[in-house]
Amino acid sequence: MKIVACYKIVPEEQDLIIRPDRTLNWERAEWKIGQYDLCAVEAGMQLSETNGGSLTALSAGTKQLENSKLKKGILSRGPQDLFIIADDALDNADAFQTASTLAAAVNKIGDVDLVLCGEGSSDLYTQQVGVQLGELLGYPVINAVSKITVQDGKLLVERTLEDEVEVLQIPLPAVISVTTDINLPRIPSMKEILAAGKKPVTQWGLADLDLAGKGSATKIDSTLAPEQADRKRILFEGDSEEVIQKLYENLRKEL
Amino acid sequence: MAGMKNIWVFADKKDAILELCAGGRTLGDKVTALVIAPRTDAEQVIAGGADQVYWLGDKQDGKLIEDYFAAIFDLIQTQKPDVVLLGTTKRCKLMAGRLAARLGTSALMDVMEFSATDNGLQAKRMVYGGAAVRTESSAADLTIATVGPGVFEKLPEDSGRQGTIEDVAAAAGSAITCVEKRPKVGESVNLAAAKRVVAVGRGIANKEDLKMIEELAGLLGAEIGCSRPLAEGVDWLPRERYIGVSGVMFKPDLYIGIGISGQIQHMVGCNQAKTIVAINKDKAAPIFQQADYGIVGDLYKAIPALIEVLKK
Ligand SMILES: Cc1cc2nc3c(=O)[nH]c(=O)nc-3n(C[C@H](O)[C@H](O)[C@H](O)COP(=O)(O)OP(=O)(O)OC[C@H]3O[C@@H](n4cnc5c(N)ncnc54)[C@H](O)[C@@H]3O)c2cc1C
Repeated sequence: MKIVACYKIVPEEQDLIIRPDRTLNWERAEWKIGQYDLCAVEAGMQLSETNGGSLTALSAGTKQLENSKLKKGILSRGPQDLFIIADDALDNADAFQTASTLAAAVNKIGDVDLVLCGEGSSDLYTQQVGVQLGELLGYPVINAVSKITVQDGKLLVERTLEDEVEVLQIPLPAVISVTTDINLPRIPSMKEILAAGKKPVTQWGLADLDLAGKGSATKIDSTLAPEQADRKRILFEGDSEEVIQKLYENLRKEL
Repeated sequence: MAGMKNIWVFADKKDAILELCAGGRTLGDKVTALVIAPRTDAEQVIAGGADQVYWLGDKQDGKLIEDYFAAIFDLIQTQKPDVVLLGTTKRCKLMAGRLAARLGTSALMDVMEFSATDNGLQAKRMVYGGAAVRTESSAADLTIATVGPGVFEKLPEDSGRQGTIEDVAAAAGSAITCVEKRPKVGESVNLAAAKRVVAVGRGIANKEDLKMIEELAGLLGAEIGCSRPLAEGVDWLPRERYIGVSGVMFKPDLYIGIGISGQIQHMVGCNQAKTIVAINKDKAAPIFQQADYGIVGDLYKAIPALIEVLKK
């Protein structure tokens, strides 16, 4: 089975600086691999380890993808090779543009049986790229998957919905988005990190893919930190009965 | 609103359809609902604000809502609505994405608020774990959007409302087969409806210590909520109880955060509360910046003391 796991790189939220005009400053932010996508990579590893086959990592994004620490970061988690489509024209790509780019790449890689995606990216979390990718490839596609096994050449998956769990049988090729419940991604060892540097990386630009007219239809009008509600910020230090009594008296007026 | 005439709504839960019908009325001239449920539901949807229902029949045995994708896509393709509003369940998100991909566009996801502009609909949603709100619009001819519970309020049922129900013979099927379905185990709690909530975080050292939190919640007539690590890291509390961008978002009258640091992903779930109280031993914890009242102290002393005071 030839498996492709998709991932997105995202800015580290802890590094976000909010300017006085509520706009966001990411200039000092480190980039990292999306938290949920690591579960897709791990799911791909476990499937290829149990059933045989190979795992390839794939990402589309800006030139940040070329960062060697990030490339090693993904390869050290097990995939045998990596394909990146690194083009600054993909800055602020919407789900359709990203999915179209990934679909063209999956077709170019060829003979792929299963594409795995994280349920959503940890920055925007629209939960759409995996779903759109499946539809664009014309493969069966399902989201919210919390368990995958292979049976008679088909997938048997558990899908965890709001109030029920479904067991579904899915023929290959297919595209699946996995939840964080599916596994605990492995922590790469020093040896795996070193070995990752030697694995093959193929880089394509948008021009290398068949992407006629697949742009972004979503226009971003603004991205602003929310206005903070004014809070009283009355602080009491200590946890003695007297202090708690004071808190209670204040609170009683509100209740 | 300019050009915004036909609004279609679809969801896999009746309450969501009714809310979307109400929302559709504020956005356009004509509201059409797609219903896959007993015929009485179709009638209720008319009474709840739809002008028209495409009734795809009751859900066929063993079929999934997902199996109706082709029928829904065909209707959209031939009737060309201006806007399609969907719910935010996993099923709806799958449907929205597949429709959008076929139409060559993206869906506006998890919309919190719409506004009308000359160029169509503008929508607000949270990004970066709630650290920011993004305003975006779709340049496509057909806008697809998913809208969460509570964004629109359903209309009072009016059985006198006129509307048409059109039967659509829909073939249901796909390559995916459902072999088993089971209800999710666990208590069901509607935290979003709670007026008061006592929320606990990683400051709680042992599961047994939740006893005193239960006692406190009981005295205050409050529900218990938590931060994500207590529901997803250690399973001390069910997932339905965690507050935040990926959990419950609500506007209680009173929120008391105990041993919670106040990360943005958590606070966006409750920062609309009328009164916020924080108990944390770290004076620098971000939650104090967003609290009306704070106790800088050990929760293991403060909570028993608060229980004593409340008992008096
Ligand atoms: C994409 C994404 C989505 C997320 N979504 C959510 C979400 O929806 N909801 C959510 O909650 N989190 C969410 N998180 C996680 C979030 O970032 C925080 O990690 C989490 O909220 C922290 O939980 P906490 O405050 O309980 O734990 P901590 O941050 O560890 O804080 C524990 C606090 O307890 C205090 N404390 C310890 N001992 C005591 C004591 N004896 N007395 C008093 N105080 C004490 C400490 O000072 C500390 O401030 C998300 C993260 C990501 C990346």
